Amino acid sequence: MSCHVVAERAAASHKLLTLRAHPLRIALVGQPNVGKSVVFGRLTGRYVTVSNYPGTTVSVTKGRALVGAEVCDVIDTPGVNTLDGTISEDERITRDVVAGPDTDLIVQVADARNVRRALMLTSQLHASGKPMVLALNMIDEAHERGVSIDAPALAAALGIPVIEMIAVEGRGLSELRDALPRAARPLVPAHPHANDRAVWAHQLTERVRRVSTLSLAYVQEALARATRRPVTGLPILAVVLYALYLFVGVFGAQTLVKLLEDGLFGQGINPAATWLADRFVPFPIVRDFLVGEYGLITMGVTYAIAIVLPVVATFFLMFGFLEDSGYIPRLAIFCDRIFRVMGLNGKAVLPMVLGLGCDTMATMTTRILGTPKERLIAILLLALGIPCSAQLATIMGILGGISFAALMTLFAVVLSQMFLVGWLAARVLTGDRSEFILELPPIRWPRFGNLLTKTRLRVWWYLGEAVPLFLVGTTLLFALDRVGALVWIAAAGRPVVTGLLGLPPAASQMFVMGFLRRDYGAAGLFQLAHSGQLTGVQAVVALTVMTLFVPCVANFLMMVRERGLKTGIAILGVVTPVAIFTGAGLNYVLHAFGVQF
Amino acid sequence: MSSMRLAFSSDRPRPLSSLAVDERAVVADVHADDAGRAERLLSLGVTPGAAVTMLQKLPGVVFLCDQTELAVERIVADAILVRREERQT
Repeated sequence: MSCHVVAERAAASHKLLTLRAHPLRIALVGQPNVGKSVVFGRLTGRYVTVSNYPGTTVSVTKGRALVGAEVCDVIDTPGVNTLDGTISEDERITRDVVAGPDTDLIVQVADARNVRRALMLTSQLHASGKPMVLALNMIDEAHERGVSIDAPALAAALGIPVIEMIAVEGRGLSELRDALPRAARPLVPAHPHANDRAVWAHQLTERVRRVSTLSLAYVQEALARATRRPVTGLPILAVVLYALYLFVGVFGAQTLVKLLEDGLFGQGINPAATWLADRFVPFPIVRDFLVGEYGLITMGVTYAIAIVLPVVATFFLMFGFLEDSGYIPRLAIFCDRIFRVMGLNGKAVLPMVLGLGCDTMATMTTRILGTPKERLIAILLLALGIPCSAQLATIMGILGGISFAALMTLFAVVLSQMFLVGWLAARVLTGDRSEFILELPPIRWPRFGNLLTKTRLRVWWYLGEAVPLFLVGTTLLFALDRVGALVWIAAAGRPVVTGLLGLPPAASQMFVMGFLRRDYGAAGLFQLAHSGQLTGVQAVVALTVMTLFVPCVANFLMMVRERGLKTGIAILGVVTPVAIFTGAGLNYVLHAFGVQF
Repeated sequence: MSSMRLAFSSDRPRPLSSLAVDERAVVADVHADDAGRAERLLSLGVTPGAAVTMLQKLPGVVFLCDQTELAVERIVADAILVRREERQT
């Protein structure tokens, strides 16, 4: 940074930090997966969920950072590959932040290995006319893979500070803070054409980057290879699924649930609450409302904490691990052909796997898909067949206790229904499928601290969504029971529930609850099964129907928000009959063949 | 081994999908379509002059472009034209 121009520019832009009425507003911009959110967290002390794919940072996150003695506003933006031409929703958000009057300074965060792509973005950011700093992150990974960057030469060529950093270790952060006052508008020739930008970025990269063929990242590279090749990738997928089953289905849904439901609630909280209510609550109706059969504590809170929480927590921990390791996008390679039959491409695996955590979150993430038709199909399939973690919990809790064959039957039926409905939708709906083009992030060993924070935030978000609805549901059940409507509902549902599906009448009310939240209905089925009121076949049929229902009120509202009321109702109109008739068919077939689980 | 193969091929651009696994080349051009394929590839660094290495072809094409690993379907790999690697001087 010995260059004269740099010094002059630095002096000119020094005013930035001193002469302004409002705090300096800094936008962090960069490609997906370059560590922007980690830099944001390090600067502001706040944590943002870090993900290996776009669509999860839906809006911008703001925080405050101290630079010298000055307080600055820092804005974290969704990762972008381009700000020009036809751009996605995420890219539009970032472009607006960059170009808008509320940003004074841009910190571009880049993956040091991929400086060429970063420079193409730099050249687009230059158009905003705002002063910039370039942060080359993950310099350690670049070195390991034999990539070295001449940062001073790059800084001289661009006329802006270029900082090398390892954000996850906090290295380079103080240098970044020190460099902010020297931010300047980069020296980029005007590029009318995207291709000219590419040529400029290519030539500059050739000057400042050296790539040796010697890579020290053997293990990561071997893993990256193994997970994407069919011969090794498919066995690895099987192992991953089995590990998921062991950790979530056995440890979470059985061991932990048992501990919490029978131990903490069964012997601790519920008897204590009942005892307290008996002593201090004079009105029987209030007592019942709190600790009765449909009590707020004995049913609502018990379901939410004892049955749902352990599974949600174990699932999000495992999901976070797979996500941070960079494994999930590799699955897309294997899914591409299958998804193509359903009018989608391999990219759709991302919302589908996320849907196993929460369908509402996943419905939002369908934004990463290319065309309106793809988004509609993905939303429909999420609503139809992807059980969210809470529901997966109850499924595994009930069927895991019955037999592996029961579990497989349910999954086989649900998957074939998704396939069939997807295949039909791809043919009936108008519109196009987009081509499959996906960046595969490097395989990394996830950081344990990050993983815990991320899981905690997600579980917290989930409970915030689920618990209120559980309590509303319990209140509704209690009210229906009081006015005698439960009996009436059971009677009205009898032709379908008892007749078509062959279930006990008590299952009717679980389906009423299933409309509110299907995991809540499933949790009700869990208790029915637990108390021996369901046979193996009945459990499989009931859970299959419940799985095929629309997940919950929140998911329905999200579908309406994303695709409009008409589409939302249409999806409901497709999903409900498919659920009931599939259940009826399954019931018939299982009985016809005399299957027992 | 790949140099043997290159010795016989002319320098006319050929589709990326015709590369053998581990074969290297340089991007020459990308066939555009109406849906912004060329733009998307450009924003991911698939630009004329970028070095590419074929990593695998089944079940889908995976290739390394500069320092980025990209997975694409066959039609896309057909639309990316590559030519022989320039000799290092």
